Amino acid sequence: MHSRGSLLIALVMTAVPALGAQAPGRVQVESFTLPNGLRVHLVEDHSAQVVAVNVWYDVGSRNERAGRTGFAHLFEHMMFQGSANVKKAEHGQFIERAGGQLNGSTQPDRTNYYNEVPSNRLNLALWLEADRMRSLAVNAENLKNQQEAVKEERRLRFDNAPYTAAFVDSLPTLFDRASCFAYAHSIIGSMDDLNAATVTDVKAFFDLYYAPNNAVLVIVGDFQPAQARRMVTEYFGGIARGATPPAVTCAPQGATGREVVRRIPDRNANLPAILTAYRAVPPSHADYPALELLSTIIGGGESSRLNRTLVRDAKVAVAAQSLFNPFGPMRGAGIFGALVIANQGVDVDTLRARFAREMTTVAQGITPDELTKAKNSWRSSTIFGRQTAIATSEAVHYAAMYLGSPDAINSDAARYEAVTLADLRRVAATYLRPDNSLTLVIVPEAK
Amino acid sequence: MSPLAGSTLRRQTAAAHFARVSAWPLVAAGACLIVTAPLAAQFPTRPPAPMPLQPAQFPPFAETVLANGMRVLVVSNAKQPVLSLTLAVPGGSFYDAAGRAGTAEMMAGLLTKGAGARTAEQISATIEGVGGSLGASAGPDFLTVSAAVLSNDRRLAFELLADAALRPTFPATEIELLRKQTLTSLALAKSQPASIAGEAFAKGLYGDHPYGRTADEASVAAITRDDLAAFHGQRMRPNQALLVIAGAIDTLEARQLAEETFGAWGGVAAGAPVTRAAPQRARTEIILVHRAGSVQSNIIVGNTTWMATDTRGYALTLANQIVGGASDSRLFQILREQKGWTYGAYSSVARRKGLGSFSATAEVRTEVTDSSLVEMLAQLRRAGSTPFPADEFERQKQTLVGRFPLQVETADAVAAQVANARLLGLATDYVQTYRQRLAAVTAEQAQAAARMGMRVDGALVVVVGDATKILDRLRAIAPVTMVDVDGKPMTVEDLAPKVVALALDRARITAGSDSFAVLVQGQNFGYQVSSLERDGDGWVYKERSQLATVIQQSTEVRFGADLAMRSAAQTGKFQGADLRLNVRYADGKATGEGVTPGAGGMQPVNFTGVDVPPGTIDDNAIQGLLPFFQWAPGVTVNVSILSSGKGVVRVNTYQVTGEETITIPLGTVETYRVSFTGGDAPGTYWIEKAAAHRVMKFGPVGQPVEFARVR
Repeated sequence: MHSRGSLLIALVMTAVPALGAQAPGRVQVESFTLPNGLRVHLVEDHSAQVVAVNVWYDVGSRNERAGRTGFAHLFEHMMFQGSANVKKAEHGQFIERAGGQLNGSTQPDRTNYYNEVPSNRLNLALWLEADRMRSLAVNAENLKNQQEAVKEERRLRFDNAPYTAAFVDSLPTLFDRASCFAYAHSIIGSMDDLNAATVTDVKAFFDLYYAPNNAVLVIVGDFQPAQARRMVTEYFGGIARGATPPAVTCAPQGATGREVVRRIPDRNANLPAILTAYRAVPPSHADYPALELLSTIIGGGESSRLNRTLVRDAKVAVAAQSLFNPFGPMRGAGIFGALVIANQGVDVDTLRARFAREMTTVAQGITPDELTKAKNSWRSSTIFGRQTAIATSEAVHYAAMYLGSPDAINSDAARYEAVTLADLRRVAATYLRPDNSLTLVIVPEAK
Repeated sequence: MSPLAGSTLRRQTAAAHFARVSAWPLVAAGACLIVTAPLAAQFPTRPPAPMPLQPAQFPPFAETVLANGMRVLVVSNAKQPVLSLTLAVPGGSFYDAAGRAGTAEMMAGLLTKGAGARTAEQISATIEGVGGSLGASAGPDFLTVSAAVLSNDRRLAFELLADAALRPTFPATEIELLRKQTLTSLALAKSQPASIAGEAFAKGLYGDHPYGRTADEASVAAITRDDLAAFHGQRMRPNQALLVIAGAIDTLEARQLAEETFGAWGGVAAGAPVTRAAPQRARTEIILVHRAGSVQSNIIVGNTTWMATDTRGYALTLANQIVGGASDSRLFQILREQKGWTYGAYSSVARRKGLGSFSATAEVRTEVTDSSLVEMLAQLRRAGSTPFPADEFERQKQTLVGRFPLQVETADAVAAQVANARLLGLATDYVQTYRQRLAAVTAEQAQAAARMGMRVDGALVVVVGDATKILDRLRAIAPVTMVDVDGKPMTVEDLAPKVVALALDRARITAGSDSFAVLVQGQNFGYQVSSLERDGDGWVYKERSQLATVIQQSTEVRFGADLAMRSAAQTGKFQGADLRLNVRYADGKATGEGVTPGAGGMQPVNFTGVDVPPGTIDDNAIQGLLPFFQWAPGVTVNVSILSSGKGVVRVNTYQVTGEETITIPLGTVETYRVSFTGGDAPGTYWIEKAAAHRVMKFGPVGQPVEFARVR
């Protein structure tokens, strides 16, 4: 509908000046630790009559061992199966009937459980989280049920969708299985491992990882800190401390001196796709903000580099996008990736060469406007994402886990604002190297 | 299982616990002893009761009126440096001129597609460049334009908002683009039973009142640039406009910016149109929309209620929540959880500036249509006649009261709620007191509201389904008026399989073959080849197609020289699964069996002795016969079709709706555009004007798939 020429003109004419960047509103965090090791961060905010109660357990797929993969995610399902005083599925019912909402999710480094309720039901959300932390109900029937539910989830979400199974199963091979098993396997795990899980395994996992000393509770919203402290102490104080979980080991995963290319057949794909991923760094690393902005410039949205060069101009790809830590942030590693889907009739190896050239040269040509726009977009999504208690509670957790302190929620933005064009070129030269990469060439499987 | 059985994991407490923490620094251990020793044993086994409900602390808002009459409402909230602007005027579809339904919606869509000095691309690049958003939409009563930005970009937000609202350029290309998209979605809506039901319900409920008017193909096609400009000139005026400014901005600056950007805006909105009253119903009646072959029925039961300002609204909201507001409400629990009749059953209250409405909806299997309707009516009657049990009433009230704070958490959401209350003309403290007023409703008030607001004895019922299967049973419930999906009246005689004279020139039928490329967004995804060949004293139509790796199939349909169908056979694979179909025609009846792709996967096909009127064509063969009709401008061809995957006879309509020059791999050709309706999904054929009338291109409406002739 719109010609390419007019779009370029539009881009030029709307160059955005970088004037006094805005920072998210300051978040005041009050922290304490219960004697049983439960760390608690409170953020008082009376601007709306809601409270977020968000528990992160310091456990994710990175804590799994060979032969027991998929366990952290299976466990997330188990947490909705009831506890001593709460029947199966009742947690959700209690919260929804109070007018609230809830969910949970699993990443490589953490499993979260969050509830957002009107502020006069803070006690309910705390009681529910405490009940399952102290007395999760596990039996053979529950377990069997959830094993099946996870397998169904895999069939629906991964095995029937193009590219997804290849992406989920093979991208972790970016990391070395021997020196970093933690990140070298998928979150969903192997179905054989899941089948092998026993009630005894689940109990051991719960005892080790779902103990108060391995959890962080963040409460954000409309409450009085003294009252919240009393309630937290009342509900969580009596839960016994657990053993200290073993440390996760992952040797630094840097350039290997060789480029790895794997061809993967995909029966759901109609067009070939290429995914290239580079080993990057954890959020606390100085290069992280530059890498994240570079990722946006390369493949975040319609006007990003890959979309302009490969999709719109050369027409060798139908879609392109970057994938920055697609499974979630990791304290011991990072993934900087980009995916392109070949246009009909375009030879996959020709596209691969073109794509590789683009990734290695992209940083040279980035304009100040592109950097400004990437910062604007990061800033606005961060700030708009701080409007709700739930989103703020996630940001406090993120700062505490990945940046080392909940207060880093207030200093993180400055790291992004400070990124320069030179930084982009430097991180591109450091990380976007063939000998630091894995390329998955996903080809439609002949039927 | 019992939560106390051995299967519950209990954390070790007491002795073991203290033994382990004793190595801790003294102070921690001390705290631990003090805090946990008495409480560990006291963990409450029941959920704690709600804490007291604090009075709503709504951010303060300030209201002023500019000299031109525009009201400005500032909701200051400096928690995050964000700003949202919402400009609303009484300019919804209520104000569409007769014969031009859809004007308000189209105009709203065009406001951001060229305004002030910017083109559509420049507008989107500008707002995206600062990480903000800009949009416009029209509802039944109001038209709103809104923007959200970081507060540093507030000037830009005001500028873009004012450009969009006051200075749209309505570029011809953007008008045509939007018209095409609108027509596509209208055509698609006609194939979706829920949309058909909603439209029939609005029409039946409001009659000639503007709320009963809906955009259709003719009205959308008729809207000109002048209509849009005139509508804009009449409705987009300051004297009834409301600007809500919410977020990190102080009241003074907000007013200044409003004055600077909108102060010079002048003019007075045209008066509201004189409207006819909505029909009153003294008894319940059913409108049955016949959808041949439908395997489910969509039911809507409801009535008009009262004006937005009526204070019974709070009590009706509560009664509605108990009846069908959520998945733990009565309709869902009974129709779905207990009876298993439906995928979902809900009810809702629609609030309008004028007369609002109540409705309950369910999508049920055809065979339980009447039972479901009886149950729905019974539940509505019960709500008005039997007191709500206290626990159920309190539980549902708690859900509603509790949810409200989550609905006004952000500056954006606050602005939307406040604007809505102002526009509907509600009391100035409506939003601040909403929760308390809701909490104050008694079970008796809710029941009284149910009695008045859910009028079981004067309800309108709309059912969209296969009338041949449900008409008689619905008649036993209430008087039935039957219409087709276009709203045209139907009689029982119309339901009998129709003898449609086949307007086809048999003498012109000749053997030949066709070949099409399957294009998805212009890219090659497969092919279809077909041929019409002599078969003894009759014909055989053969077709092979492959669409990427999704589907491959071959079909053969045999029929006599008189076009009487003899057999249809199909084999192939759909997403790896085998598909198969065998249909035999004999003595005016058809019998078929097989497995074909359908909604939700492969579906078995099994029908015997279905009546097939003379002139009926198997749906697999119709494409091969299209060239032999007498195509000309304005021609409409009705064909009786056996949908062989379902065993249902229905009438398909092929109507020449225009003439188009199209370019396909074969070259550039003059064609008639032929719209196809009456099947499972609408489609379009492009048939060459030249006497051979070959099909040059075809495809389903609203999907990016096209079959284009290659030879």
